[in-house]
Amino acid sequence: MARDTTTLSRRDVLKTSGAAGAAGLTGLAGCAGIGGGGGDSEYPALGNYPVEGDEVVFGLNVPQSGSYSQEGEDELRGYDLAVDHLNNGGGWVDNWDGLSGEGVLDKTVTTVEGDTATDPDTARQSASRMISRDNAIMVTGGSSSGVAIAVQGLCQEENVIFQCCITHSNDTTGSECVRYSFREMFNAYMTGQALAPVLAEEYGEDLNFYQLYADYSWGQTQQASMEQFFTDVGGWNQIESVPTPLGTSDYSSYLSDVPRDETDVLVLNHYGLDAANSLPQAIEAGLDEDMEIVVPLYNRLMAEAASGSIGGIFGTADWNWQLEDDATQSFVEVYREEYDRAPSYGARIAYTQTLQYAAAVERAETFYPPEVIREMEGVEYDGAGLGAETMRACDHQAQRDVLVMQGATPEEQTEDKLLNIVSQTSRDDMGYACDAGPAAECELGEYGDE
Amino acid sequence: MSREDRVAGDEPVTDGGTVADESTGTGSGGSALARLRDREDFVVIASAAALVVFPFLLIDVLGAIGDVIGTSIGGYAGLPSLVLIYGIIVIGFNLLLGYTGLLSFGHAAFFGSAAYSAALFSQVVPSPILMIVAGTVVATLLAWPIGFVSIRRSGVYFAVLTLTFGQALYFWALGPGSWLTNGDNGFSGIEAHGLFVGALPLDAQLIPVFDSYTVMYAFASIVMLIAIWVGNRIINSPYGLIFEALGENEERVEFVGLNVFRYKLMAFVISAVFAGVGGAMFTIHEQYIHPTTALYWIQSGDFVIMTVLGGTGSLVGPVFGALVFEYVANVVSGVSLPVIGSIGSLWRFVLGAVFVFIVWVFPRGIYGAFADLGARITGGGGDGEEPAAADGGEAE
Repeated sequence: MARDTTTLSRRDVLKTSGAAGAAGLTGLAGCAGIGGGGGDSEYPALGNYPVEGDEVVFGLNVPQSGSYSQEGEDELRGYDLAVDHLNNGGGWVDNWDGLSGEGVLDKTVTTVEGDTATDPDTARQSASRMISRDNAIMVTGGSSSGVAIAVQGLCQEENVIFQCCITHSNDTTGSECVRYSFREMFNAYMTGQALAPVLAEEYGEDLNFYQLYADYSWGQTQQASMEQFFTDVGGWNQIESVPTPLGTSDYSSYLSDVPRDETDVLVLNHYGLDAANSLPQAIEAGLDEDMEIVVPLYNRLMAEAASGSIGGIFGTADWNWQLEDDATQSFVEVYREEYDRAPSYGARIAYTQTLQYAAAVERAETFYPPEVIREMEGVEYDGAGLGAETMRACDHQAQRDVLVMQGATPEEQTEDKLLNIVSQTSRDDMGYACDAGPAAECELGEYGDE
Repeated sequence: MSREDRVAGDEPVTDGGTVADESTGTGSGGSALARLRDREDFVVIASAAALVVFPFLLIDVLGAIGDVIGTSIGGYAGLPSLVLIYGIIVIGFNLLLGYTGLLSFGHAAFFGSAAYSAALFSQVVPSPILMIVAGTVVATLLAWPIGFVSIRRSGVYFAVLTLTFGQALYFWALGPGSWLTNGDNGFSGIEAHGLFVGALPLDAQLIPVFDSYTVMYAFASIVMLIAIWVGNRIINSPYGLIFEALGENEERVEFVGLNVFRYKLMAFVISAVFAGVGGAMFTIHEQYIHPTTALYWIQSGDFVIMTVLGGTGSLVGPVFGALVFEYVANVVSGVSLPVIGSIGSLWRFVLGAVFVFIVWVFPRGIYGAFADLGARITGGGGDGEEPAAADGGEAE
């Protein structure tokens, strides 16, 4: 905490100027905003508050092109379902406290869409359009941690709440965290905590592991977390950890460098299309005969693309439709009715993050962002398919269970079922304190009403 | 004195020549317009007038039309400034591509290095103007060695060399240089404190009623006017004529006894200065910079597309390209159509269709299309029997 005495860090500059900017913004909005805010204007104008008229706009900023576009489609399905339920009832809306099924604070929810192109700056410009032209009161979406980090920074400046969707990097709620952003998804650190004990038990102790990782924000924190927990928990020994450029299609040179006789476990820290390329290539090269392969973060795209190769391979997932609790079952049911398929975890996060925001607004009885943020901070909830969860106040990271998955063999695979749930690691057995792990680097910044 | 030179020198070359071709050698109106177009003060004043109405048209008028037809087609507050920023860059890029005939695929290097330099500089002195100076200086210094090496080859080798330098910088910023650039997490926390030592915040509104006119926009407009003025100066000077001559035929220039290498290098550096100014402006505008935006080769490709789309044969032509590009990327991409649904990721497809259409129908780009249209109207209104017979006859 007392480390920043000598140099002026970027964050310090951001903090002071953020205050100045916020003051300027309120002053400005003062002349534009007041008048016609309904019974909702007990707070000064801030960001896109107050909401005028009978409608409130949510901005859905998802990848519709680029390497994660398939996940973007799934996210959109989740969002559309959430908005439909918020306006007309159904799904979790009927079970969550506060939500009425008649819009949010009696305003009908409408949406605007944008394409992040899986590119941080495109995502920012798209979010910027939603905020300044379409008056979005909340922006959500993203797949790729680079995008989430870029957009949440913008949202902090603009005093508009951002609900992260798929982002697994430690930095999102760690060194790059902001007050206006919340994350339901788990992170690489928690993947390490959940995966390491299972692997230690399955494969034994004192093994040598070798890592390949996608060379960007997520991959870097991912491989660091794997190293930390495999070393700590199983007493494993890392031979080497090799970066591969994001979007690589041919991994054969990296794979041929893996020392077959020394390596016991090969960790492929790749996601989406990258993993869909690297995993089958590793199998094709026969590496699975000499060692175990681990893919720390599964997703459906990768599981589908590599379906012939994933049999028996361990990894983690945010959530899975095969869980048997009531919330999961009811979500899967309404989703199937609408789209005729099982939801991926991207759809669940999208759905959950939207309802979380709406519920917080209902509890706060206003759209005024600082009050909504305070309502979300530290909230306990259990209707999101993963049992009891906490949206922690100190870093806005959900403390929740994590699923350890194992790929199904080609014979037992069906269209929806590619993975089997091995265990649901309880949040009590993992997580980290506010002054430890990624949270130690997090300074959330201003509410905007100080 | 030099103006006499310029006007005299311009007559036999491209612009006047094509206009004269269209209106078949007559049309006192046409040539008067052409002469007016060459006048420096006219160029600047006309540009200033266009800059004043631009946000109103883009945001308020299009927004109102959008309300009527039920589809949001209006721009948003940040878009006009963004168009101008890219406009500044492509004015410079066009000096290289349109006049000197050098196709650089590595201009993102200058854009990005200036953007990062400005971002880093803002941590010490958060002054927009000094950020531009710092960014531009770095881009210029970088352009020298890159140009020095790349200019030695021509055509596709030149393009690939510049591309290589650009990509090298991209990978550096993403990996080894991430201690400086914050790598893939992007450089945020850039805070330009506003003009006049923070007295005028950049997001403040100039006119209370129109939220489209921000201080940032005014700032970008002024820089744009300077860019147009400088660009106009260069292409209408003897120095600029040599650039143009290089584009026409390098060997002849060499035979005249001029040092081709030196002129090409200068053209390269000058265009990098524009890219540098634009890069620094981009940082100030976005308050965020990421290697993929700043340095990836697609950014260089976008500059090429904007320039060709707008029209390489004229000074401000590329700015129209920047406008169309950014409009499609930022507004059309968010449009939902009744049958097709959300355009979303199809925006590049839309842009491609627009590009093919423009380049096919109007080989000289959007500006060329306007120029032809203008020439036809003034030619028809002036005296021109030929145009009246050509299209008026068919219509009636």
